[in-house]
Amino acid sequence: MKGDGISRVFGRADFSYLMLKPDHASRPLWINPLDGRIILESYSPLAEQAQDFLVTIAEPVSRPSHIHEYKLTPYSLYAAVSVGLETNDIISVLNRLSKVAVPQNIIDFINSCTVSYGKVKLVLKHNRYFVESPHADTLQMLLKDSEIGPLRIEGDDYNGTSTTIVEGLVREKAPSMGELTIPGTSKGNNSAATAESGQAGGDPHQQSVEDLFTSVVGLDREDDDDMDAVHSFEIAPESVETVKKRCQEIDYPVLEEYDFRNDARNPNLDIDLKPSTQIRPYQEKSLSKMFGNGRARSGIIVLPCGAGKTLVGITAACTIKKSVIVLCTSSVSVMQWRQQFLQWCTIQPENIAVFTSENKEKFRNESGLVVSTYSMVANTRNRSHESQKMMDFLTSREWGFVILDEVHVVPAAMFRRVVTTIAAHAKLGLTATLVREDDKIDDLNFLIGPKLYEANWMDLANKGHIANVQCAEVWCPMTTEFYNEYLHETPRKRRLLYIMNPKKFQACQFLINYHEKRGDKIIVFSDNVYALQAYAQKLKKFFIYGGTPQGERMNILQNFQLNPEVNTIFLSKVGDTSIDLPEATCLIQISSHYGSRRQEAQRLGRILRAKRRNDEGFNAFFYSLVSKDTQEMYYSTKRQAFLVDQGYAFKVITHLQGMENLPDLAYATVAERRELLQSVLLQNEEAAGIENGDDADNFVGRDGGYVKSVKKAKRTMGSLSSLAGGDDMAYVEYNKSKNKEKTRNPLIKKLYYSKKK
Amino acid sequence: MPRAVKGVLVECDPSIKALIISLDSKNHNIVLADLDDEHLVIEERMVEYVKRELDSQLAENTFKPAELDDIRRK
Repeated sequence: MKGDGISRVFGRADFSYLMLKPDHASRPLWINPLDGRIILESYSPLAEQAQDFLVTIAEPVSRPSHIHEYKLTPYSLYAAVSVGLETNDIISVLNRLSKVAVPQNIIDFINSCTVSYGKVKLVLKHNRYFVESPHADTLQMLLKDSEIGPLRIEGDDYNGTSTTIVEGLVREKAPSMGELTIPGTSKGNNSAATAESGQAGGDPHQQSVEDLFTSVVGLDREDDDDMDAVHSFEIAPESVETVKKRCQEIDYPVLEEYDFRNDARNPNLDIDLKPSTQIRPYQEKSLSKMFGNGRARSGIIVLPCGAGKTLVGITAACTIKKSVIVLCTSSVSVMQWRQQFLQWCTIQPENIAVFTSENKEKFRNESGLVVSTYSMVANTRNRSHESQKMMDFLTSREWGFVILDEVHVVPAAMFRRVVTTIAAHAKLGLTATLVREDDKIDDLNFLIGPKLYEANWMDLANKGHIANVQCAEVWCPMTTEFYNEYLHETPRKRRLLYIMNPKKFQACQFLINYHEKRGDKIIVFSDNVYALQAYAQKLKKFFIYGGTPQGERMNILQNFQLNPEVNTIFLSKVGDTSIDLPEATCLIQISSHYGSRRQEAQRLGRILRAKRRNDEGFNAFFYSLVSKDTQEMYYSTKRQAFLVDQGYAFKVITHLQGMENLPDLAYATVAERRELLQSVLLQNEEAAGIENGDDADNFVGRDGGYVKSVKKAKRTMGSLSSLAGGDDMAYVEYNKSKNKEKTRNPLIKKLYYSKKK
Repeated sequence: MPRAVKGVLVECDPSIKALIISLDSKNHNIVLADLDDEHLVIEERMVEYVKRELDSQLAENTFKPAELDDIRRK
């Protein structure tokens, strides 16, 4: 406990008082007592099981190759409890894995978070609502509460399952998976779990940890028949909201579960996965967290872009087999979901209804699938008659299941509206990133449910489910003239200057040239339209932005996909969502918005889908071009933070070998650069802005709130010279005034012109 | 009789040179001679000042991971 020379530097973070256990070398993690962070050595032989466990109880913060970082938060513990882990199990497994004894304040923290979470469930079955808990005393306590007590209704006739009435509470067997198999998986979880534990074998220490793991985390617990019982009392459907709110106030938040197998009131939807559809192991794992005890839990599943989130949603829908409604961010996604449903499961086209600003259909039968967008449903403005009829159709029925796509984009206020307008029993949120710049993740936890599962990107890449990506940041020095102007300009104009850096043009050209020779398909992103056009025109490539008409877009995209001559296209923000993008193997980013981490991850998702990913040694490439010594460096690092946390390493390329020797190098001469500088300086500030995505009616904005609908008339400020088309020209007068050359009489000069001093 | 002024030779990137020149533009007491795109001669006394100013200006361009921790920690 003695401090040494450098203890001072650590201050409060000096943990040398924690005693190491004798076999600490074989234990993979330690917990920081100050802030609940768990540091895991991912090269340890126990790392894989430890990771599974940690993902269940903590938030992954950073998962690069060798050392992982996780954080224990109230929400992560809430999520752990909701999938069935108990406080003592969590603490004992942590103790098993930790190099030092788990610090007392962490134990207290875990206790305080888990003591009241997950104890109370609100279950819908047999068309009735029950407040359920494994602990009779918790329920008794709730019944004594002044608001909840009176809401309880006495029911009789509990449908004959083995129930008994004990002290006024109904007591029955705990729910279990039983014969429920998730479609597409190999005979439920039994075989999978035993296969895993059989493989690991190895040394006894590992084996015992394995056993401990499967007993704690494994979901195929053999339930002894009389052991786990649950108690419940009934409440009327109208009292559900009140009870939920009250329970949250007294710190016993309810978990909602939907017992869909016993729901006779909602008509079944007869859909199943097609036999050819295969579910991957990580998809199966995420679904097993959702259906772990035979009921459907509401929550959020986080999978990287291109990993098959849609299939997870579809499989969940096929398990629940009740009416489903899917909400997406744009009308293009709506079409994609519809097409994927038709492709992977046996649903009939007449049972699918699409609700966007262009189509308003309904399905005829009792049950079916509706695909729509958030804006259509959460819209509070006046609706057209057709829309209103459609909304009535949606609000008038009970939905078994609602799938919320791209949950990270939608602002909380919109969600609240959606959740209150659509009456759904189970909610599943799908997203690639739970990171939001506005950090309103907490709201999502209570609106939808806890995070059920988060995949490890690196793990998926290693197993070939998503492409391996090499990420690099290319530093382009600014030319002297550009930099001089940069120093003296306003921030907005600065942006334009560092994007239009001639050296960046050159780097872009070089990279395109290099990758085209390799046979890659390249997409270049820019969210600034002015730059997009300048680059595309200079490098003679096709480009698509908001103003490109639909027909032309289709034409360009088809050429990109099929024509071997067209290997590079330039895209603006429309490429982020509004287009069904073909696969590319190389992504170059020349400009992007101020540090949105999620955005960079999403763009990466475009190439993560690449079909060739399973080829030996195949790599996809992602380049981010930044101008050195400018603000762009700052934003770029911030954006990459998310990807770095997922395990992608960003190399830095400071010099592109052979760039100077490229034939037809853009802006190679000083004169050309000056010309470029002139035209950039003549742009007004608007040019530095970012383009709004089109499809504004259906599209949900990134910044929260609605994107304003596209107005027909546009109002801009500008000078007459720009209206006259003189923006790209500058005047220089060559003949100066003749007056100055005149020689004047010395006397006149003295009298009238001497003031010039 | 020739006058000799003692100065410090600075060898740098064009962008840093531009920064130093812009620092100089306020009081004209830093730069003694502008040799070419990558070389400058500056006053000996002003070397520390130039270093400090450059540090602070360039620091704006660097994203510190500590900030990220604050963002994550929320």
